Amino acid sequence: MGISLSKLTEKTNIWPWLLLAPLGIYMLIFFAVPLAEVAIMSFTEPKVSLANYQKVVTGALYQRVFLNTFVTAAFVTLCCLLVGYPLAYLMAHSKPRTAMLILLLVTMSFWTSFLVRTYSWMVLLGNNGPLIAFLQMIGVDKPPQLLFTRFSSTLAMVHILAPYMIMNIYSVMKKIDPALIRSAESLGAKGWSLFRHVYLPLTAPGIANGSVLVFVICLGFYVTPVLLGSPREQMVAGLIGHQIEEFLAFGLGSAMAMILLVVTLIILTIYHRRFGLDKLWG
Amino acid sequence: MNTFMRWAGFIVVLFIAAPLVIVVPMSFSNASSLQFPPPGYWLGYYRAYFTSMDWLIPTWNSILIATATTILTMALVVPATFALVRHKFRGKGFADLMMLMPMAVPHIVMAVGYYSYFGDLGLVHSHLGVILAHTCLSVPIAFLVLSANLKGFDRNLERAAQSLGASPAKTFLHVTLPILRPGLVISSLFAFIQSFDETVVAIFISGRDAETLPRKMFDSIRQEADPVIAVISTLLFFVVLLGIAAPYFASALRSRAPKPSRPAGAH
Repeated sequence: MGISLSKLTEKTNIWPWLLLAPLGIYMLIFFAVPLAEVAIMSFTEPKVSLANYQKVVTGALYQRVFLNTFVTAAFVTLCCLLVGYPLAYLMAHSKPRTAMLILLLVTMSFWTSFLVRTYSWMVLLGNNGPLIAFLQMIGVDKPPQLLFTRFSSTLAMVHILAPYMIMNIYSVMKKIDPALIRSAESLGAKGWSLFRHVYLPLTAPGIANGSVLVFVICLGFYVTPVLLGSPREQMVAGLIGHQIEEFLAFGLGSAMAMILLVVTLIILTIYHRRFGLDKLWG
Repeated sequence: MNTFMRWAGFIVVLFIAAPLVIVVPMSFSNASSLQFPPPGYWLGYYRAYFTSMDWLIPTWNSILIATATTILTMALVVPATFALVRHKFRGKGFADLMMLMPMAVPHIVMAVGYYSYFGDLGLVHSHLGVILAHTCLSVPIAFLVLSANLKGFDRNLERAAQSLGASPAKTFLHVTLPILRPGLVISSLFAFIQSFDETVVAIFISGRDAETLPRKMFDSIRQEADPVIAVISTLLFFVVLLGIAAPYFASALRSRAPKPSRPAGAH
């Protein structure tokens, strides 16, 4: 591959296109077309009409599932923030060795498969698991059912998505200039007031980054809600899968998929305008 | 405020760590259902994993699919990244954004699309179908890693080589490629992991014939929660630990060992 590095760039403009072409054609055939097929099916299956969308928008079941999805995603995001913020703080303000160990743990969690972590929560929350045993030990006679409830799927999703939040907040906290905090202190700010008026605003970009990422991933979450959640309180992705696998209702499933996609893209577009999409994951 | 944050932080450490380590004792348990703490310990489920084709074939499928996905992803992404980082042209911003799109689209949406599209093409329940789909999903992460590396590349090194008479091809092979090697290795690794871990699309299109490990695990958790899952989880846990800890240990060893003195005669 003889890329004539500097000479050709200014004169001819064909090189970038030649280099991009294989990937571009590939993405067209194996990414854009299947995605377009979802869009088309949502209007044409089983016949050409808006019936699928009408059903999703007006049907009580679908309304409830969409509402549940948004509420769950918002709640999970909030929990990730409450869980992630102190941990990021601990990491950013500990001795290097402690900070590195915690970072190792968070990285471990991040790289451990969703399925493994979901399975672990099944063990932890199961009827023969340690949490129920603990509840019985402290005198709860009839411990509540923990597994296959909204509680278990939410808890597992918080655990799975927290590393995204922690990494984003941590990277911002690490860059805070200690001189800023000291000068605020010298001006009389301390305790919660120092935190609220100085520290928290300085970490806001990390919070925004992490929250968008967690919220968007959670909206489309399939595996964990299906395996750990209550069948009566499905999220959108689970319901889409159910429609396709059980009923072969491609039209209805596609219409829900399109709504999910559009909402996701709207959030990411707003984010892109303000911060740039490439910042989200890096 | 400081003390409060620290205490809360320590509690969160437990919350993050507990689910990661609990699979290890579970994998040695002799209980036939999910029971913790285990009533007794044995290696039976390890034997079950390493002797059962029901588990070994999906493992093999996953390795095969992830390897092919990595090769195809890199073959497509490397030239494209050079085009996007080193050239200015109309529509570049749009192309940059398109590279990230597969990351923005929820996997369940793509799963519906592939299920129907590959159904028409006769590619469902085939290794090739999963590889083609996974390649799309691996493009963004491979591109992000590689473009970050390429942006930090000092082009004067190439100019120096060329001014010394190296042809563009030689420069690329002997200067550009070796310097980019760490970036290439890491982005290949990310593409591999992305494919190896991908669950949702695989559930819908891999079928019985190209069943991947995540699909098999998903089905098993959903149906009977086979304790073999704890074994696989433990094995995956140690693979990840090894992968993450190895660089730490390597650098710790290097900094502790006495600096090797330059052998006489080496320049």
